[in-house]
Amino acid sequence: MGRIVGIDLGTTNSLVAYTDPQTGAPKCMPGPSGSTLCPSVVSLDPDGSIIVGEPARRRLLTQSERSIYSVKRLMGRGVADIQSELKIFPFRIDTTSKNVIRIKLGDKFFTPPEISAFILRELKNWAEAYFGDTVDRAVVTVPAYFNDAQRQATKDAGKIAGLEVLRLVNEPTAAALAYGLHEKQRGKVAVYDLGGGTFDISVLKLISTGEGDIYQVLSTNGDTHLGGDDIDNLFMRHLQQEIVDQHKFDIGRHPELVQELRKGFIQAKHQLSEKDHAEVRLTLPSGAVYWSGLTRADFEGWIRPIVDRTMIPVKLALADAHLAPAEIDEVVLVGGTTRTPLIRATVQEYFGRKPHTELNPDEVVALGAAVQANILERGVKNMLLLDVTPLSLGIETYGGAVAKVIPRNSTIPASAQEMYTTGVDNQTGIDIHVLQGERELAKDCRSLARFTLKVPPAPAGLPRIEVRFLIDANGILQVAAKDLRNGQQHSVEVQPSYGISDTEIERMLEESIEYAEQDFSERQVIEARTESEAILAATQKALASSTSAALSTEERATIDQSVAALTESVAGNDYKLIRKRIDELNQATTHLAELVMNGAVSTALQGRKLAEV
Amino acid sequence: MTDPPLVCWSCHERTLGTHFCSSCGKLQKGRHGTDYYALFGMPRKLSIDLGSLEREFLQLSWKLHPDNFVNATEQERELSLQRSSEVNDAYRVLRDPVARVEYLLELEGARKEGEHKQQAPPELLEEVFELNESLDELREAKEAGGDLSTLKARLESAQKNFQQKLGEVDQQLQVAAQQWDAAIEANAGDSDRAAIKVRLNELLNRRSYIRNLVNNVAKELTES
Repeated sequence: MGRIVGIDLGTTNSLVAYTDPQTGAPKCMPGPSGSTLCPSVVSLDPDGSIIVGEPARRRLLTQSERSIYSVKRLMGRGVADIQSELKIFPFRIDTTSKNVIRIKLGDKFFTPPEISAFILRELKNWAEAYFGDTVDRAVVTVPAYFNDAQRQATKDAGKIAGLEVLRLVNEPTAAALAYGLHEKQRGKVAVYDLGGGTFDISVLKLISTGEGDIYQVLSTNGDTHLGGDDIDNLFMRHLQQEIVDQHKFDIGRHPELVQELRKGFIQAKHQLSEKDHAEVRLTLPSGAVYWSGLTRADFEGWIRPIVDRTMIPVKLALADAHLAPAEIDEVVLVGGTTRTPLIRATVQEYFGRKPHTELNPDEVVALGAAVQANILERGVKNMLLLDVTPLSLGIETYGGAVAKVIPRNSTIPASAQEMYTTGVDNQTGIDIHVLQGERELAKDCRSLARFTLKVPPAPAGLPRIEVRFLIDANGILQVAAKDLRNGQQHSVEVQPSYGISDTEIERMLEESIEYAEQDFSERQVIEARTESEAILAATQKALASSTSAALSTEERATIDQSVAALTESVAGNDYKLIRKRIDELNQATTHLAELVMNGAVSTALQGRKLAEV
Repeated sequence: MTDPPLVCWSCHERTLGTHFCSSCGKLQKGRHGTDYYALFGMPRKLSIDLGSLEREFLQLSWKLHPDNFVNATEQERELSLQRSSEVNDAYRVLRDPVARVEYLLELEGARKEGEHKQQAPPELLEEVFELNESLDELREAKEAGGDLSTLKARLESAQKNFQQKLGEVDQQLQVAAQQWDAAIEANAGDSDRAAIKVRLNELLNRRSYIRNLVNNVAKELTES
């Protein structure tokens, strides 16, 4: 079985990391460009191939209608949920789809898990190139405040990408793992994680026991639609209006110009973390140049409401953990947006202590995922994560109210049993509606699933069916039902309210393989065969020449044997075997290669391979 | 109380281990009918040392958590999910003093929520009536857009009054809990125990009624 990697599937950037078996330290793996950050952007090339990462990000400017960013915002959501999002993001959605979101790239449609799968597959390729080996299992991080549907969608994305997601780990928890390993911290830790599109706050207790360290999450809170994107959108509206006012020109109908303005603003935003002043420029089609100067004070005035919004979940999380700000021993900042000086100052003031920023806020979540991957892979136990479910699980009761069966911040796995019976004679089904959220009415909570329990006909009140709701270690719901009169297990088909079915996932998996580059091992086999063709041809040529007469009988026999062995291995699909046979033939032909080079330059060529001479 | 000898589901040998088979080392099913107290090896008392409860919880979690079984067989993975969720459920209930009383009464078959859950306890009738009147007035004034400050002040003082009552119930609950523990220690007779259980049940119902009231008023006040 291949290695297990840790993946941070972010709104803005995604990363893949592993734990170095020698040093035990987690490390992010670079892609072809050398950077460890893979922009979470996907673009459909006119030739039908899929482009992911930095090259796709560049296409946002030139081919914005074929490219998509921040798709994480759409994971696990229905068409009705995202109407407000559509006003701000240039997502092009299939308007005929009632429930499942389908995003249009060029003339093709993709669901959010499919888009995320392209990103996961790209990271899988990075890792496979790095290891020179297949990678088929991963630990993937999700915002702690993700609900069941969003988690399920992330797991589906893994499946579509050909990765078995062994565990979904909450992002702030992963960050705490990385920091814990780095600093050997103890006590109560608050992790403030503001990324591109999501905000999480988690309060953890780090406990050392005789057997190892336990990371116990006490509470978590957040907002899955609050992040650096919101800062960008706020300013984009302002800048676009300024262009209209100053130049009587609306760039809204020119997606490329909008992307260019966004890029310019993001640059200015980053500069304002270091400097007091930055500017945004945009050349309009008329040749006129729009220019806007930004001071840090202005910028902070604008974003203060967003920063204040993050402090509400912070207070709720502390209240649920029954802790005062002063009782927190360490504060950790995670996510690129926490580079903003105003955020650092606000967090520091609230907790009365300087937050930790030693680890790269872009990488720390992926590093933590790699730590968890290592725990799962090696089974060598010196650490345990105890995480919680962020939202209460409830069942709709009479009158549209919600009865909570598993409260928020329960350690997972967590379960609850409910007893059901019938209300009328010979009733054959009981409808059950499962919800997630803190509100009292079903209509205000997130609908997770509806299903009907099948009941054998009987007088009213006689059937006794026990339904067990279980939230697993990934924060995903499982339901099982048992007829208490005969002990029979009922199978419960839980169709997530906004999810995609297993058959759809199968189809997407097949399609994604068509889009994806060839499988890693397939690619390796092709490369190895090409190489063996070259060396076999060179060997045949050299053996046919007169120089080969100088070979000893033994040498000649070894070469013939190696040629036969390599030829045989090429017929198979084992690239490792082909490589081994290539090496053997290279060894056997070292003397022959020297002879071919005719003595004069042979000293300079010692150790060269026949195919290179 | 003696348990029947246990046989491992996997190797079919007799096992002496509580969680893992003493022969083959596979994770075992939980003992049938194990309640939350028995799971943590504690007597059915209402005062619990939270420190040792936490230690037990962490130790069990360390052994049973699904992370330990990622590479194990399907059955073991499923068992670990069942057993670790049970440990978490048990810890969640036992560490909360009110949930603990509720659980104990259910275990003893003595939990009765009362036929009229929404009915006010008789001695509170008058005050509840006044409170509801004030709430109605506040809602009307809100709709009419009138001055809310006097009404809000009246509600806030009523709120304080009920919060105080909530505190009183909690104290009474504590006293009754101590009586229960004393009865257990003294190995008291069934009728003595039954009386304490009835008292605990009454107090729980009273508590939940007052708490709902306080929550409703708080909601109404923050929304105006």
